[in-house]
Amino acid sequence: MENLGIDGKLLLAQIINFVLFFILVKQFVVKPFTNFLNQERKNEEDKDKLLEKLKKSEEAGLEAEKRMKEKMKKEFDVLFIQAKKEAQVLRGDLIKQAESDAQEIRDKNKKLLEEEKSLLYREVKDKIIKTSLMIVENTLKESLDESSRKKVTGTIIKNYQGKIEIN
Amino acid sequence: MKINPKLKKDLKSFLLDNIHKEQNQVQVFSADVLGVDEKKVLGKKFSDLNWSQAHYQIDRSIIAGIVIKVGSKTIDLSLMGSLSKLSNTLYEID
Repeated sequence: MENLGIDGKLLLAQIINFVLFFILVKQFVVKPFTNFLNQERKNEEDKDKLLEKLKKSEEAGLEAEKRMKEKMKKEFDVLFIQAKKEAQVLRGDLIKQAESDAQEIRDKNKKLLEEEKSLLYREVKDKIIKTSLMIVENTLKESLDESSRKKVTGTIIKNYQGKIEIN
Repeated sequence: MKINPKLKKDLKSFLLDNIHKEQNQVQVFSADVLGVDEKKVLGKKFSDLNWSQAHYQIDRSIIAGIVIKVGSKTIDLSLMGSLSKLSNTLYEID
């Protein structure tokens, strides 16, 4: 080996050195790095799992929310239709009530108007009759002298056809 | 208080006579004094009435004609009465 230029001792020392180097590197570099990588991978996997879980949970939440929204929308639609119907019924009732009230007011006013008209008619009639009779009375009083009055009295007595009954 | 029955009877009789007289009492109201002829016609027309005790009174407000009152009854033959009847008729017409 010496002829080949190889120093056995040096070779041995180098081999030992290499083995030592290998052991040390493996022990203090490779192993922690591998552990670190494994840990990172595991963390990544956990993260992915968690993300997946979160995603599923989120999807489930969204689905639930969607279902809830649909349910609420249906309920809202039902309630809206019901409220609309009730509002229409109420509106109809209010219109009927208003029409009834309006008719009542119209009737009342008509009656009042008729009463006013009747009262006015009676007042006018009363005034006309009173005035006419006053004119006739005054005219007769002024125009009839004694002889005329006597003539009228005589005529009335002669023409009277009635009879008085004394009990 | 007790009333003497005779006094009660007399009072009743007196009051009944008075009422009878008042019931048959004839009162004639006219605008002017009635002549004899008119009184005769009245006597003939209303022969049932007691004209012997008739009272004749003047009332210018009746204008012309006569009003005869016998007790509570009244016969209105005056122009004023006719006007009053006409007024009532007019009031009854609608």
